[in-house]
Amino acid sequence: MLLDVTNLTVCYDKAMLINNISLHVDRGELVSLVGPNGAGKSTLLRTITGLVAWEKENLRGTTGGDVTIEGQVSFDGQRIERMPAHEIVKLGLVHCPERRRPFREMTVYDNLLAGAYLSQDKESNAKNLATVYKLFPVLAERSKQISGTLSGGEQQMLAIGRAIMSQPKLLLIDEPSTGLAPLLREEVFQTIMEIRKLGITILLVEQEVARVFKMASRNYVLSSGKIIAEGQGEQLLADEVIRKTYLGL
Amino acid sequence: MLMDIIINGLINGSVYALLAIGFSLVMGVARIVNIAHTAFYMASAYFIYMGFTFAGLSPLLAMFCALPVTVAVGLACYRLFIKPIQEHEAAVLIGTIALAIAIQEAFLMSFGGSFLGVPPLIKGYTWILGVKVTWQHLLALGVALLVLLAVRLFLMRTSVGLAIRSTAQDREVANLMGMNVTRVAMWAVAVSVGLAAIAGAIVVPLVVLDPHMWMHPLIMMLAIVVLGGLGSIEGSFVGAYIIGFTEALVVFLIPLGAFLKDSVALSIMILVLLIRPEGLFGVVFEEER
Repeated sequence: MLLDVTNLTVCYDKAMLINNISLHVDRGELVSLVGPNGAGKSTLLRTITGLVAWEKENLRGTTGGDVTIEGQVSFDGQRIERMPAHEIVKLGLVHCPERRRPFREMTVYDNLLAGAYLSQDKESNAKNLATVYKLFPVLAERSKQISGTLSGGEQQMLAIGRAIMSQPKLLLIDEPSTGLAPLLREEVFQTIMEIRKLGITILLVEQEVARVFKMASRNYVLSSGKIIAEGQGEQLLADEVIRKTYLGL
Repeated sequence: MLMDIIINGLINGSVYALLAIGFSLVMGVARIVNIAHTAFYMASAYFIYMGFTFAGLSPLLAMFCALPVTVAVGLACYRLFIKPIQEHEAAVLIGTIALAIAIQEAFLMSFGGSFLGVPPLIKGYTWILGVKVTWQHLLALGVALLVLLAVRLFLMRTSVGLAIRSTAQDREVANLMGMNVTRVAMWAVAVSVGLAAIAGAIVVPLVVLDPHMWMHPLIMMLAIVVLGGLGSIEGSFVGAYIIGFTEALVVFLIPLGAFLKDSVALSIMILVLLIRPEGLFGVVFEEER
């Protein structure tokens, strides 16, 4: 098991955003995490990669209230629920955040360089850069451009490319297709398949349920901070209640 | 007259640029509005004076010793006073004002309110376009420009520079890239206080020292960062020269202009806030949830 989450509960003040969740991702899988808005999908990813813990540290004593995190998260055989976010990345657990969030004032190239921040190995960095440019030729063309001026689709490619520069074993991708035109969405999904072929395990959060079910090896349905169902795409779609209530299909 | 304005504008602008860039760095990386920033500039000047007068060091050696001392004091102040309240904006504002006043009072108690000075590193003067310019002024200008260039190279070419720029834009994502944002903030504070210390070293032979000397540059610096755009390094650089030349023009062209320079800078700040609140090079900080 590459990622193993056991009995994870996250509360922001009195609101329980993640309610006793257990899930796992095996090496080589593409696992999807779907569910309605506000189900806790992003919070779950942010907890796994240590951002919630970082936020908790920063919010301490402010009016933002208190955050509590309980449960266990282990990655590649190592417990990580108490590890700071910047060290979790070193293990190869990389998070490509919601809303793409490129460093807007920096060039495309500097963004990719930031992704490779931890690796001082010039050779492997150059190799990764070549991989990213091969996946996204447009980033090579625009390497000197300020990333804030890229289109939404290009910014998504940059965000994924930046994550690949961090040399992930497991890549968490949060809503990559949101806000993109249908054609670009398909392009993003194709790229995710390509990335999987590079040997990178993927945990994908998406709104495009029907599309994601076709490519994922396993799926989790999340609602109100709980896992409602787990299984293969057809299995979940066959269940009338899940399909209508949680997937809106 | 013209040459006076140009030389003074350039020197003022360069010193303000050093101060404003340091202020912007910490503002961007740690989200701290550091009112005490120019107090470190003053501290550096006093440390140089102490090194020269009490330890008998040459002015140049005193400057080289004052730089690390000031940076160490700055880092200690950050760790002890600012870091614990870093996420409370109002508390940081009040805390840094208190810190600046504490530094001012410390020097006032130790040295009194009298004017002190450090002799120039090189004596003599030269004539440029018929105006007498001291070598010390030219040296100050040269050093300031060199340091500004070094800062730019540091930010654009080194991996710490990359981390500082990334963290300034999005602390959360910087975390996700494996950047230790707490350590990056320490770096930013060290560089920032270092720049203030260098600015202090540059002006110390040109001005008189008194425990209130931090107030005027503070006002200028705040006007500059608002004009340039809060958190923007380029904005701080460009804004510094605009305000620096404005100050020189006001002082030389308007009778009793020296009394007006603060009010002119503040008027520019208010105008910018009314017309273009994001400043010349407005930076949008990524919102954190």
